[in-house]
Amino acid sequence: MTEQATEALMIRDLTLDYGDNRVVHDVNLALRPQELGCLLGPSGCGKSTLLRSIAGFQPLTSGEIWLDSHLLASPGVSVPPEHRGVGMVFQDIALFPHLTVDENIGFGLTDWPEAQAKQRIRELLDLIGLGAMGARYPHELSGGQQQRVALARAMGPKPSLLLLDEPFSGLDTELRGRLASEVRTILKSDGICSLLVTHDQREAFDFADRIAVMHDGHICQMDTPYTLYHEPENAFVAHFVGPGEMVDARVIDERSVASPLGQLTNDRPLPFEPGTSVKLFLRPDDLIHDDDSDYHATLVGKHFRGAHHLYEVSLDNGVVLGCFAPSHHNHAIGESIGVRLDVEHLVVFPTTPSVA
Amino acid sequence: MAIADTESQRRWRNFRPNGLLIATLGAALCVALPLCVVLSFLLTANSDVWAHLVDTLLLRYTSNTVVLSLLVAIGVCAIGVPAAWIIAFYRFPGRTILSWLLLLPMAYPAYILAYTYTGVLEYAGPVLTWMRAVGSPDWLMYPILHIRSLPGAALMLSLVLYPYVYLLARAAFLEQSANLMEAGYTLGQSRLSVLRRIVIPMARPAIAAGALLAIMETVADFGTVQFFGVQTLTTGIMRTYYGFGDTPGAAQLSSVLLGFVAILVILEKNSRNRVRYYSDQTRRLDHAAQHLDGIAARVAQGLCLIPVVFGFLIPTLLLINWTVFDAQIQSLWELAWNSFALAGGASLLIVAVALLIAYANRLFPSRGLTHMTTLIGLGYALPGVVVAIGVLIPFGAFDAWLSHQLKAWGVAPQLWLSGTVFAVVFAYLVRFLAVANGNVVSGLSRIRPSLDQSGRLLGLSQGRVLTQIHIPLMQSSVLTAVLVCFVDILKELPATLILRPFDFNTLAVRAYELAGQERLIDAAPASLCIVLVGLLPVILLNRSIGKL
Repeated sequence: MTEQATEALMIRDLTLDYGDNRVVHDVNLALRPQELGCLLGPSGCGKSTLLRSIAGFQPLTSGEIWLDSHLLASPGVSVPPEHRGVGMVFQDIALFPHLTVDENIGFGLTDWPEAQAKQRIRELLDLIGLGAMGARYPHELSGGQQQRVALARAMGPKPSLLLLDEPFSGLDTELRGRLASEVRTILKSDGICSLLVTHDQREAFDFADRIAVMHDGHICQMDTPYTLYHEPENAFVAHFVGPGEMVDARVIDERSVASPLGQLTNDRPLPFEPGTSVKLFLRPDDLIHDDDSDYHATLVGKHFRGAHHLYEVSLDNGVVLGCFAPSHHNHAIGESIGVRLDVEHLVVFPTTPSVA
Repeated sequence: MAIADTESQRRWRNFRPNGLLIATLGAALCVALPLCVVLSFLLTANSDVWAHLVDTLLLRYTSNTVVLSLLVAIGVCAIGVPAAWIIAFYRFPGRTILSWLLLLPMAYPAYILAYTYTGVLEYAGPVLTWMRAVGSPDWLMYPILHIRSLPGAALMLSLVLYPYVYLLARAAFLEQSANLMEAGYTLGQSRLSVLRRIVIPMARPAIAAGALLAIMETVADFGTVQFFGVQTLTTGIMRTYYGFGDTPGAAQLSSVLLGFVAILVILEKNSRNRVRYYSDQTRRLDHAAQHLDGIAARVAQGLCLIPVVFGFLIPTLLLINWTVFDAQIQSLWELAWNSFALAGGASLLIVAVALLIAYANRLFPSRGLTHMTTLIGLGYALPGVVVAIGVLIPFGAFDAWLSHQLKAWGVAPQLWLSGTVFAVVFAYLVRFLAVANGNVVSGLSRIRPSLDQSGRLLGLSQGRVLTQIHIPLMQSSVLTAVLVCFVDILKELPATLILRPFDFNTLAVRAYELAGQERLIDAAPASLCIVLVGLLPVILLNRSIGKL
């Protein structure tokens, strides 16, 4: 019981079935009060189903869901959605088209005294920056504005937990990134514990304090964006949260490996015996273009990104790696350029189970 | 020779678009003619009869029309909404069959239902005879005996018009996103509250649109109110025209009726727009439907069966029974031939014109053309009585003028236009072109321009595109247009009654005449013909809905 006191949301050994399909396997997940969490995974990984089970729209097969020390669901127990204190922002926005912005936001505030409800609507309108639009109807708003109203509506009754089901997927890319940060700011200022579901790694990074990467109904790793990116625990996570390539390497001693680009030293002991063949995972930001380097690679592709170049370079052994270069280092394809590795923490996986 | 060829080809190419545009303009003028004629009488000096009308009868006509409309609105909602509700939100044995049985009353024109129920409910009829025999109390028999009244007319109209509300409400219920209901739950609302605050308000514009369509049919109705002796604007127009022989008076009454219709058209457009805003949601409700069994399923079945039984089953069985055993059938074949030939010829003509208009819009889109097409669309809102008066006045004037001109040549005066089949067909064109156009346009819009373009790039001429791509793809929507027009014309009563040539009878007119002579049972064969043919588009409608 002590655990539930410190955690806002607590999911224990949760298994969900969709007909005969097992979509979520023995998932454990916890969110601290005011924390912004994220379920990140490819489509069909079970993340939306998991979210719907927290909201109460999906019966569970086994396990428990706790919120603020109250048991919401377990086999045989299911608090109806309207009594869970869980708010939700839907993928298709789902604003009530027959109600104004004010009425939409006030929809869940029927039990509040009128003055307080008005006050809360005002407060939320200001928070989402739509102070003057309370009398409009949803179809009179832009997509981004609708999404913010949907957020305010879900936040209205001050839920203990706010769920966001791919809320930005219907919007264009430019708006998406901006809105994810905006929503983060809004939720942080209101201190609502939230859980976002998305398949977009950038959106997850913009939004969340901690991200749980899901794959095939399992949670692979739950960590801060920084740790996920730099210290992925398996190859799936490594590939899913950002670009990178595997190169063959050999463990030399407790802290160093031999790679095609020279010997590299880790900031902590490696869990491998010296002499073991391993896979070293390298991101484009690990490989730096340096004219003075002893190591050379052939430039085989380049993507100009304005502030920098993303080069693709081919090593002698044929492995192609990403490499960032300063914007003004403009080399031609086919040229041999100097590269060196700049890695503090080595991401090393065993060779045998190759998951891509 | 070669030069002459290209010359003629070019002329053809230039001529074709003009031909299409002229056809559209002509059709728009046809629809505008009766409208303008009727409205022009608002500006002319008032006749004595009109002054008399305003003093005495106008208030009664108007109030009866309004009260009847309100009662029908209540009636169609009371029948249509619960039926749509049950079909949309519950699953039970027989639901699929009931969902289309509920459409069958659409096959009935209200006046035929009125004749049939009057026939079976009259004092000496089987129902009251039996009720007297078992000693039923007077308060129970009184309303049955007085079916021929304003509430009775409202009941008849509601029984055949509720499918409008049923169809639109059902679609609205089914189109509501399941997410919206779930959003309601996550905001702490109970099932009942979600129902009251989300589901019903969101379906309201669709229900209103259905009720408004029913009201439009009600204010245009002539057969039912005339037979039941309810004095509405339509019967008033007929009475002013025939009884007082006062054409301007009839035209002025018609403009009052048009005022009503205009308000209804605007309201209906409004509701439609809101329906559009309300229904662009993604997740359908299907999986949220609740399964019923046992007594609950029986209750659902029973509630859905009531309108089917009273709006279709009972009257149809009565009509069949009378036709087979009792009716004195006179010249039914001639009547059927007249009706079918008239309706067939007219609907082919109407659909042909509709095709020209649709192609004009596709090949040479312009704002003017859009306006004309909108004007043509108004024709369907014009009550048959108004169309008839609006056609009769200019045609009669033309006849008088022509006879006057020809007198010098020794030609005896006669009716060249009015009182001919041409006048009848002209009125049908005005009234039903919108129906045909709607069907044809929806068929044509499914053929994407890229199909035409790929056809042209693969070497087809514009003409070959028509014969090899459009016609095969359009077949079903053109056939639907013909069928729907055919049945609408078959049911049409007031325009046919006013404009038909002397001694030219159709099924609808004959049923009306026989009913007027209280020979209700003899009217059965003609009525049955209309209803059975009227079933065809209902079945078609159901199939096209089933495909969605």
